[in-house]
Amino acid sequence: MIGPVLKVLLFASLRERAGWAERSFPFTPGVSTAREVWNQLDLGPIEGISIAVNQELVGANQLLQDGDELAFLPPFTGG
Amino acid sequence: MTGCRVEVCPDPFDPWQQLALWCGDAAAAAIFIGRVRPTTMDGRPLEALELEHFPGLCERQITAMAQRLQQEHQAGPILVLHRVGKLAPGEPIVLVAVQADRRGAAQRCSAALLEQLKHQAPFWKREWCAGQGTWLAANTPL
Repeated sequence: MIGPVLKVLLFASLRERAGWAERSFPFTPGVSTAREVWNQLDLGPIEGISIAVNQELVGANQLLQDGDELAFLPPFTGG
Repeated sequence: MTGCRVEVCPDPFDPWQQLALWCGDAAAAAIFIGRVRPTTMDGRPLEALELEHFPGLCERQITAMAQRLQQEHQAGPILVLHRVGKLAPGEPIVLVAVQADRRGAAQRCSAALLEQLKHQAPFWKREWCAGQGTWLAANTPL
């Protein structure tokens, strides 16, 4: 893939809904947000979804940089 | 302040054996062991419960919450073990143990840590029943 890319990860029910666990996405560094990437995935509303960038939980308006790992996490049900 | 041991376990563990290895000499200890129920959330017989986690972030989140609560409650050593993988009914899923100088600190810290673990650590459960898996959308009530 040419140009800046993100690694996008999906877990559990999100992964099964999308049919994939990990993909590379082209984007605009410093301009694109986690919310914008989510909207491109067409997986429903972002409410209730947690977001991690490079293994840190962040808000949906987090700006993304080249090489970031962006993970979308459905509501937690552990314990 | 003493340590927090946090482990996500892909293999079964015996909570009593783990406690025997961990145990210290604090005046109070609160222990919680969670096991897989024999029925699904909607009351059907459960074949298995599958647990998935986000490796790395999950362990760091639990360690950070344990350290924060340990300080807040002036507690001593903390042990957290949490299973992932496919579990049979009756198998232990989670062990939370907290030592402290007083019962109040141990019990409050343990209860708070378990609730945070359920709602703030990236684990997901899928119930298997009649050969079909269903991801749970929400946690069990307190």
